Parts: sequence; C-alpha cells; structure tokens
Amino acid sequence: MISRKLREEIDADPELGVIYREAQTALESAADPGDIESVRVSFLGRKGRLSALLQGIKDLSPEERRRVGRLGNNLKTWLENSLEKKGDMLRRQELEGTLAGERLDITLPGRYMPFGTRHLLSRIIEEIEDIFIGMGYRVVEGPEVELDYYNFEALNTPDWHPSKSLSDTFYVNVPDGEHSDVLLRTHTSPVQIRVMEKTPPPLYVIAPGKAYRHDVPDATHSPMFHQVEGLAVDEGITLGDLKGTLEHFAKRMFGDDRLVRFRPHFFPFTEPSAEVDVSCNICGGTGCRVCSGTGWLEILGSGMVDPNVFEYVGYDSEAISGFAFGMGVERIALLKYGVPDIRYFFDNDLRLLGQY
Amino acid sequence: MRVSLEWLAEYVDLVKSPQELADLLTGSGTAVDGIEVLGGEYEAFIVGRVVDVSSHPGADRLTVCRVDLGGEVADIVCGAPNVRVGAVSPVALPGAKLPDGSVISETSIRGVTSRGMLLSERELGISEEAAGIMLLEEGAQAGDKLVDALGMRDTVLELEITPNRPDCLSMMGIAREVAALTGEKTRWPRCELREEGCPAEHDVRVEIVDGDLCSRYAARVIDRLEMGNSPWWMRRRLRAAGIRPISNVVDVTNYVMLELGQPLHAFDYDLVREGHIIVRRAASGERITTLDGVERSLTTEDLLICDPGGPIALAGVMGGEHTEVGEGTTKVLLESAHFDPANTMRTARTHELPSEASYRFERGVDPGGCVRAADRAAYLMQELGRGVVEPGVVDVRARVIRPIRLELRVKHAAGLIGISLRGEDVAALLRSIALDVLEIKEDGDETTIGVEAPTFRPDLVREIDLVEEVARLYGYDRIPATLPRSSHNVGHLTQEQKTRREIAGVMAGIGLHEAITLAFISQRWLDTLDPERKYLPSELASLRNPISVETAIMRPSLLPGMLEAVGFNLNRRMTDIHLFEIGRVFRPLRGDKLPAEPLMLGCALAGRWLPKQWDREEEEVDFFTCKGILERLLQSLHITDWDLRRERMPFLHPARSCAVGIGGADAGYLGMIHPRVAAEASLPENIAVLELDMARLTSVAQSLIPYQEIPRYPSIQMDLAMVVAEEVDSQDVEGVIREVGGDLLRDVRLFDLYRGRQLGVSEKSLAYSLSFYAMDRTLRDEEARSVYDDIVSALAQRCGARLRA
Repeated sequence: MISRKLREEIDADPELGVIYREAQTALESAADPGDIESVRVSFLGRKGRLSALLQGIKDLSPEERRRVGRLGNNLKTWLENSLEKKGDMLRRQELEGTLAGERLDITLPGRYMPFGTRHLLSRIIEEIEDIFIGMGYRVVEGPEVELDYYNFEALNTPDWHPSKSLSDTFYVNVPDGEHSDVLLRTHTSPVQIRVMEKTPPPLYVIAPGKAYRHDVPDATHSPMFHQVEGLAVDEGITLGDLKGTLEHFAKRMFGDDRLVRFRPHFFPFTEPSAEVDVSCNICGGTGCRVCSGTGWLEILGSGMVDPNVFEYVGYDSEAISGFAFGMGVERIALLKYGVPDIRYFFDNDLRLLGQY
Repeated sequence: MRVSLEWLAEYVDLVKSPQELADLLTGSGTAVDGIEVLGGEYEAFIVGRVVDVSSHPGADRLTVCRVDLGGEVADIVCGAPNVRVGAVSPVALPGAKLPDGSVISETSIRGVTSRGMLLSERELGISEEAAGIMLLEEGAQAGDKLVDALGMRDTVLELEITPNRPDCLSMMGIAREVAALTGEKTRWPRCELREEGCPAEHDVRVEIVDGDLCSRYAARVIDRLEMGNSPWWMRRRLRAAGIRPISNVVDVTNYVMLELGQPLHAFDYDLVREGHIIVRRAASGERITTLDGVERSLTTEDLLICDPGGPIALAGVMGGEHTEVGEGTTKVLLESAHFDPANTMRTARTHELPSEASYRFERGVDPGGCVRAADRAAYLMQELGRGVVEPGVVDVRARVIRPIRLELRVKHAAGLIGISLRGEDVAALLRSIALDVLEIKEDGDETTIGVEAPTFRPDLVREIDLVEEVARLYGYDRIPATLPRSSHNVGHLTQEQKTRREIAGVMAGIGLHEAITLAFISQRWLDTLDPERKYLPSELASLRNPISVETAIMRPSLLPGMLEAVGFNLNRRMTDIHLFEIGRVFRPLRGDKLPAEPLMLGCALAGRWLPKQWDREEEEVDFFTCKGILERLLQSLHITDWDLRRERMPFLHPARSCAVGIGGADAGYLGMIHPRVAAEASLPENIAVLELDMARLTSVAQSLIPYQEIPRYPSIQMDLAMVVAEEVDSQDVEGVIREVGGDLLRDVRLFDLYRGRQLGVSEKSLAYSLSFYAMDRTLRDEEARSVYDDIVSALAQRCGARLRA
C-alpha cells in the first residue's frame, strides 16, 4: 500500500497525479487478465506513461529530480503490486468459471465395489466369544465326529437314555465293528470332558461349534446346528457365580433392559441345573405368540458340573466346583434378529446373506 | 402333564391364584407351559327339566317336550328315545353355538316350532355317547348354567415334568410340591374298603420269574362288578387330564394312575387261566395280540405277564386282547406292579407303543406305593362299580427297594449355592417335600443333616441331589448374582484363532459372502466329482442312520456344499454368486476310530465378478478372478512362500486348474470346474472354485512382520517386452528375470500380454515393468542397463525369447 502522505503528494503533482488517478480507474475497470496486461503496458511498458515520465526526470532540476523520482518510483511499485494482486484475483475467477462448466451428474451411481459379508451365525459366535473372552475365557474346540464316551457316558448319561437312540443321534459307520460307538456329537458338551482330561483346574473355557441331531428339518429344527458350550472350574465356584456370569452375558447379548430369569431344570451332567430365560422383546414381557404367552424366551441350559463328571476326568469335587452352560446359536439368532426359519441359515440364499 | 386345579384341590388347599401357583411351580423346577381355562365353551347352555312329553303330530319318532328353563317354559322337539317327564338335561337355546360349529335357531320341525334343543353328550362334545339326551344327576336345577351344574369351570396347568421327577407325574406328587411351596399340608384320598368273600390269595397266585425286571407285583380281586359308565365327576377330571373315559373299571385304573402315579391294569379274572400270574421274559419269537388288536412278535428282552396258557400282557406297556375287560366282565384281577424303567422304555420304543403307563414306568414308579394304589382303585371299584373287594392283597416282592439314607453338609450346600444357610432352615426345606429328617448333627462349625429319601423320589441318591432340592426350594431368584472371584482367568484367542478370524474378514472384504452348508452330502456328489476316487479319499465317514441318502456321507471336501449353494441361488435367479465357507471336512484315518477333521477354506464364484456399469463393461468370473482372491488372501497373511502346480483334479477343468502349495506343502486347489461335473450337477460351466487347508494358511501366516528399510535413493524404471512361444509360462520368464536381476532388481510386474498379427502364430509377447534401485547409493543408468541386457540375453538363451521390436 501507499501511505496517505505519499498519496497526497502524488495527487498534488500535476503529472503524477493524473497518472495515478487514471491508473486507479484503469485497474478498477480491468475485467480479465488481458485487461491487466494492457494496463501494465500502457503505464509500465517501455513506452508507458509512467516509464516515459521517469525517463524524463533527468532533464529536471536536482531537487525536482529527487522529488519526482521518489514519488514516481513509489507510484511504480504501487502499480506493479496492484496489477499483480488484481491479476491473481482475475485468474482465479477465470479458473473457477472454467471449472464450473465441467459439470458431473453426481447422482449417477458410484463405481461398483464388490461387497462381501460374514454369515450371521459366525457373527453371533464371535460376539459370544468376545463377551466371554472379556470375562476371562479361552476358546477351545473338539471333534464333530465323537465317541459315545465323550458325548454321553462321561457326561453322566446312562446307556439306556432315549437321546442315544438311532432316532435321536447320528451314528457313524466304522470299518470293522457292527455296533458303533462313533457318532456325530449331539452337543458341544463333550469338549468339556476333553479339555478337563488334558488340563488341570482352574479352567475358564467356551467351546463353539457344530452339533448334530436326528431331526427332520422344519422351521425350528435342523439336523446340523451350532452351539456354544461354556465351562468354569475353580475353587469356590457357586451357583450364584453361574447366575452372575450368564446374567452379564444375556444383557450384553440382548440388551441391558432385558430381564433375566433362572429356573431349576434337569440335565444329566449338571446338578443343580438351571434354564435361563430373557424377557420377551416382542411383547415386553406381557405375553405374546413368540413367547407362548409366558413373557419369557428360553435361551440356554446350564448348571453346576455334576460330581460324577468330575470323577470321570479325575478332578476332586471336594476341592473344586464348576459350572457349565450350553446355548444354541441359531436360537439366539432367531430371537435376536427375528429370522423366522432355522433352515434359512443353511440355504445360503444371497438375499439373506447380503443382509448382514 | 395336565393338572386340573379343581381336582388338585382334593389333595391340598389351593391358597394362591392359578397364575401365582404357576409362577411358584416354574420357579421351583416344574415349568408351567400354559394355563388353560375350561368351561367357557359351555357358557351358552342351560339346564332344563322336561315337564311334559307329547308325541309329535307329524312324525312318529319325534316328541314335543315342554321344558322348564327356570321360570320360563319352552316347547322343544326331541328325537331321543330316553326323553321322559322329569328328565333333567342340557338345553341349547336359539343363538347357542355347539362345539361342532353349528348354531341353534328357532325352527319349525314338521309344523311344530322348536325353541331350542335338548343335547346328548356327543352334541356337547364331551363324549361319544349319542344314544340319547344327556341326563344330569341330582342337584341340577332348571335354569342353572350348565357349566355350574356340571362343575365344569376349571383351570388346567400344563406342566413340563423333567425326567428326574417321576413322582410329579401324579396329582399327589404335584400336591406335594404345591404344599411345600405354599406351606400347606397334603391329604390322602379316601380309601375305606369293605372286604368280603373268599381271600384274594385263594383266587390268585403270582410268580415273578425275572425279578431283575419286576421287583414287585401286587394283585387284588374285585368281584360282582357292574360294568357301566363312570360318574360325571370322574369323566370330567379324566377329560381335563387328557384321557378319554371308557368304562367305570378302566376309568378307575386311569384315574388312580393320574392320582397316585402308579399305572394299574385290570384283567378280566375269568379269562386269566387258573388265576395264575407269571412274570417272565418272552421267549424269542413268542407272540401276543395287544389291546390295539396288533399281533406282536417278541424278543427275550421283552417282559411279559403270562398265565399258564401264555402271554396276557406286555408288562408295563399294554394289556393283551384276550384278557381285556368288557361289558360281560364281572370279576377283575387288578395289577399294581413295579417294572424296570430302562426295560420298559426299550419295549415301548421297540413296539412303538408309548402309553401313559409306560411313560411312568420308564421314569420310575414308586416301588413302595403299589399296595396303596391297588387299595385305592379297589375302593373306587367298590363304590362306582358296586364291586365286592376280596380280602387281602397278593403282594409278591422279588426284592425290596428301601428308602435311602443320605447326609447333607450344610456348609457344603451353602458353598455350592453361594448363600449362607442355617441347619434348621435346611431341615425345614427338606421336610417340606416329605423327606424324613433323621438327625441334625453339629460338629464344630459343620452341621450335617441326615435324611431318609422316600421311595417315590428315585432321583435322591447322593448329597448333590439334596443340594439341588435346597437350591430350588430356597429359590433361584433369591440367590445373589456374583462373578467368580478367581484371578486365574485371562481370556484370549490363540494366534491361530485370530488368523482364522482374519481370513474370514479378508474374504468378506474382497467381496465374498460367507456361507454355511450342511456337513453331510449325497454319495452322488462323490461319483460326480471323482468317479475313480483319484483325489478324494476312498474311505469316507458315512452315517449309519442318515435322514435320507442325500445326507448320508460326512463331506470330505467343501466343494459339494458350495456347488449346491451356487445352484440354490441360480435357481432363484441370482446370477452373480461369490461365496466362501470355512468348515471342517472328514477324512477317516487308518487305525483311528475318529476321522481327521481338517478345517478348510472353500470359495465358489459364478456369473460376473463386476456387473455391467454405466461407463464400463461387465467382468465375468474366471480362473484369474479366483487366483486374484488367492493372491490377495496370501498377501494379507504375508505369505510369500507359495506356488501353483499344474495337476489334474478330476472335478476341475484339466487345462484350467492347479494345485496350490503353501510353505512347501500341498494346501489345496484352484480352478474352473470340469464341464462334465457342471453338466451332471446341472450347473453352468463358468464356475471358479478354490479350496485350501486352513492349517496351512494359519501355520505359515506371519503375524509379526519385521521392519524393512525404505529405499532412500531414486529408482530406475525400465520396460521389457519379450516374445516367447505360447507354451512358455510367464512364471518361468519372471523367474529368469528375477534370478538374473539379482539384488538391484527390486520389482517385476507383468503389465501386458499380447498375441496377434505382429507376432508369429503361436507366440505371445510379455511386457514387464522393471524397477531397479540400490539401498546404499543412487544407481547409475549404465548399471541398470547392464543388468537389463543380461536379462535379455538370459531370456533368449533359456526361454527362447526375443526382444519385441
């Protein structure tokens, strides 16, 4: 910028004053970078008016030469700066104007990116795993083709138990023998036995995996399904600990606002045993078709590990105690996501897979 | 089990509402599945008294009755033969709806207006009796509501009885639970026998041959019976429990079974030869015709009730046809026995004859309750069938099952449950369910309670069984919810488990949907995929009892399931299918009962990888889509040590497939499915598949990636286009380039493949982008050029390549 005092001096000079005012006017009316260039040429070019004036000062008196030289040079600097600033501004305006014309239909679809998903059951299994890992559990596995010993006997299930019949359990042919004790595990509970056989207490594990039962497929039955088994064995484990653990799980899985209920029940390999219900989210607990009017949805079976089971694996039931639980992953998916038919999980219909 | 509350009130005072009672039972282990209110369907009917009967002017078999409806009298046309003056009967007035759905209206029947209908039991839907109108017993007043006159207002609880509680399969057992939960006392039903005549032991001889399957057999004889219908109250209760009334004698056996839990059987005494009962195992191939008219062939595992002439009943399961009680029966031999649970279950299942009786024997009937049940049933036959009860019970015991003595350490119980308990409180809880508390021993701070468990509780044999009783009676809802106090538990996933999750995440991230297919497949798939068993194992894990032949084999590969999933989607008009699955396959091991269960990663692609878009063409799935997925996966897992080998897989296109090696070992395959497989499976040919052993991936995957120095000096880029014969693999060309390029050649990337007029007929041009740099200095052009020239001459020599002009 030019100082006020200088401006007044320039203004007062008959020749410089005219140049100054005309340059101001020309600058203001410049509308594009070309105009700026012509202004520059007409004032600062070799034959420009200011250049000519400055060339002429050599003919002036020494005092006048000093005065006009000082003022003229200041005016030159001012004009150069002003031209550059205005020029930059006009070039930016010109670019914006050009770019504005390069219009896109931004509503056209974006470039297609392949989209993949995890299976809902896998997601739920990992969700369950993560809840229990957070409570200090490890994840363990066992075979899907299993021996009677692990699936039934060591789990305190008597030989005549109806669940062992050919109409309930799949048996696997073995090459030599006719009476097979090889079967498809009917629950993930045999993993309990295998882990306890190998590992001394304390033990905090969950065992997710597939299980099989001789059920003809319908909306709520599938011959193959998924379970997550859980086992905690330590000194001083109580039924209250089971309650606290599963209550925590149910609230993480289904929401803090859900109520959790423990009912005495019976399982061969736990005693005392409990079934666990959460309040029905469809009706809010008042009773509806989904919860058969009870207001509760059964989500899992559980109990304190039966001393007989500890005896099978060589644990001392006087020194330690434990709890076990087992839940059906499909059932949790049906309840949590409202999938109406268990068979849908194994159809692998892309229209379902793509939803999750 | 269905429990009528009206009936239950015979044995215990019900001081709670049905809902409160249901909540108490559910909370103590007897889950209530439903509460049914009875009587509502009969609200529309009233009681009428016939005051006059005249014949119908227009029809011989019809009568016109004047019926007192309590103040009002109506004419009703009736066709029943048993209608008479003074008869008290249910009436449906116009507007009332019958159980069969028809609605009564005022109609003219052959010129006479009928203002309603007198009803038979069948029309009311309460029995099959249709011979005449239902005649109500004394006490019913004209104008009363029928539901009240018949005492039909009732609430039924549908209970789920767990298999450990056979005692709860009876009204008395439920009454005991209710009494314990509400602090009331139970009452035994009436049993005032007037025994007379010849002692039963003169008429009956019982011989137990196989005492292991029948510990006790008690018999009573009731003579001079008048067969007929049971009184209304008994029929109503049986119906509420879900049992069809038949005749007074049969109904009494069922009624007492429901009341006390002891199944009973009534033989027509006169048809039991010599009054001689023999309990023995069947001979192999022996036959009996059971009550349902079916002749059954038996094995030596079936237990029979016989007379000297042969079998007369399948013990605990069903009576024989020959000795069935019927209209002509006047003398009955009543059986009240204790049969072995497991054996009864086996016989009932083998002969597909589940019954109320076998169900109870299977779970365990009270061996101490046989005589009480026989007495009660005899009493009811005496009262309802005007029978004469012969003196004495013939009670033969092969062995005596005595009550068990148990000890419960109070501290132990409290410790397991997670509460604090006092000895006397525990004793009170145990007494409330009819356990006999023998002693309470105090020894220092340890209190031990000695109890005798009654024989109707076969589930109470160990201390832990008593802990369970204490816990459930104390109330699960009162137990504080805590978490284990241990500091031993540190939760984590193993590295392998983490890598598996990562693999699934990468596959989904690439754009595949995770599938879960059934683990059993059809034999047909194996014949299609690998008819000569060159690749898949020849030994397979097969099911002995599959649901169908379609699901008889445990999959040795994920491929069949994946292809079925592809087919399922194609059939539903979904064309672009990108699936992966992680699951186990089953491969029998020699010398091991259990098969190996390697975890596999499978992948199947069909249709387009990228659809046609508004500015570019579609991209069909092909071999290289699948290979790209493999490469991306391996890259994500930082696996560099892998290779592809041309190898024939019977189910893959012979020229478009390969075996995948990872870390120097076989890891699976990749390729397009064989057109023959596609045709046999009715699938399109353009399906790319991949199957890899997850263990190879997880064991070779690098989780800890060491830092590699980032180059600080500029690189030199050079392009190299070489013409080679068609059969030369690009991998071999690249191998030579890398080998000769040495340390200075940092990266090689194929960017073009050309075939065409500028080249010979079976030639192709491979164009590579090469990147040279050194880590310690700026590389000079001449250095790179010299390596480049060496590469060109090596390729000429070793691959027959020439520089493309």
